[in-house]
Amino acid sequence: MSVLLAAENLELAYGELSVCRGISLEVNDGEIVALIGANGAGKSTTLRAIAGLLTPRGGAIRLRGEDITRLPSHERTMRGIALVPEGRRAFPFLTVRENLELGGFKNRGDGAKVKRMIEGIFDMFPRLRERASQNAGTLSGGEQQMLVLGRAMMSEPTLLCLDEPSLGLAPLVVRDIFRTIRTINEGGTAVLLVEQNARYALDTAHRGYVLQTGSILLTGTSAELGKDPRVHEAYLGRAATRAEAQ
Amino acid sequence: MTATIVAQQIINGVVLGSLYVLVALGLTLIYGVLVQINFAHADFVTLGAFAAYFFMHLLGGSYLASIAVALLVGALLGVAINLAIFAPLRHKGSELLPLIATIGVSTMMQNAMLAVFGPVPYAFETPYSQRVFRVAGTFFTEQSVIIVLVSIATIALLYAFMKFTFLGKALRAVAQDRETAGLMGINPNYLIMLTIVLSSALAGMAGAMLAPVLVLTPFAGTSVIVKAFAIVIIGGFGNVEGTILAGLLVGLIESFTTQYLDPGLIDIVVFGLLLLMLVFRPTGLISERREENV
Repeated sequence: MSVLLAAENLELAYGELSVCRGISLEVNDGEIVALIGANGAGKSTTLRAIAGLLTPRGGAIRLRGEDITRLPSHERTMRGIALVPEGRRAFPFLTVRENLELGGFKNRGDGAKVKRMIEGIFDMFPRLRERASQNAGTLSGGEQQMLVLGRAMMSEPTLLCLDEPSLGLAPLVVRDIFRTIRTINEGGTAVLLVEQNARYALDTAHRGYVLQTGSILLTGTSAELGKDPRVHEAYLGRAATRAEAQ
Repeated sequence: MTATIVAQQIINGVVLGSLYVLVALGLTLIYGVLVQINFAHADFVTLGAFAAYFFMHLLGGSYLASIAVALLVGALLGVAINLAIFAPLRHKGSELLPLIATIGVSTMMQNAMLAVFGPVPYAFETPYSQRVFRVAGTFFTEQSVIIVLVSIATIALLYAFMKFTFLGKALRAVAQDRETAGLMGINPNYLIMLTIVLSSALAGMAGAMLAPVLVLTPFAGTSVIVKAFAIVIIGGFGNVEGTILAGLLVGLIESFTTQYLDPGLIDIVVFGLLLLMLVFRPTGLISERREENV
């Protein structure tokens, strides 16, 4: 397995406020990697830096060995990194179809291909086909999550970054979303997943990193992390520990 | 008799309103995409008018071609103000900086035009101002037909561009959420440039069509821009449909005030409406309600 994305010793800050220190992580081809940790641990900030929405104060980000640390977000998208941002951020006054078309901005010269890809997304999420000409702002939270996932896939990413895909969604919808994430991964797209719900994240991911107050506390396979008492205590809760002990 | 007068004033109002719409659309586009105001917009109108004037009266070009020249001059001014002001100041932190800088540009342009063209009004004659149509007691010049047709064509083209082209959709995406647009692979800087160039081209073109109606001096644009600002606010800042509606409304108010009240009261009526709008409907004629993203 070759390394797709490598973050080396990232120092991240918003103005004067330092958020992350010495973050190093890797995503290999075909992997699902989870970043878990408490609120404010720096998970989203790390993801924003990888997508190019925040320029690191120090360290480097490489995509297949190429240094992309200072590349703006739109050029990273062209190179195969897609981010589904926190809060989904569908374009509220564009229709579902227009949102998807813009996801395929990379292929704007090939209208037939964009159309074909949109049909593919509609096959994955039939609900979106029904709402194709509705403004995205009128969709439910779950539908919007499907839309932004589909929109991100329209750029044919090699690395799909997801920021809190379960946030504010009903458990049944969350299950669907995570099933889709696995399907996308089986298609060959590597996934970097930031998730507060550590249970879902570890069930879906192959490996994980645990962030605590801006640094990496632990790393390992999902199975290893799931068994680690520190992860259990802090992120899976005692109830889960008890349930598994039985 | 009264019906004829009303019809006549509707014609006058629509002609005037079309011109206001062209000027106000540029302002509202820039606000919609950048959340910025270009205070030099009025002077782009003026310079567009002068460009058309000199193209016609010095170089002997046709009036219709001079409209295209004014459009081009406006577009070039847009490129220049983006390179000199909007692009470099965007990342300097304060949103006030570009706004104040464009006031500076406006003052510089007005004084430069005053130095070059002088304070004496130019008489912008087009062959179309003389030819008059008479229909059922009302009359209108060929010039006003040109104004309305060119305005309708421009608005239709702009609408089709925004609605049906990839670039137009990208532009709307940048207006709604610049950061997320970047994540789509759209270079927001490029689209901001495009917005400013389009807006400025509209201003230049409006200048060429306003000049025969107004008194052409280095301050010609300023007299229109105050109303354009009122239109943008009445229509809802950044709202294209609202701006078109408000522009026509203000044109009609102006023609009917002239007929039934007094031309001197035009500004009072328009700004009275503006005040009422700000108090009772601050989001504009057509308000886009932001939906909760849940």
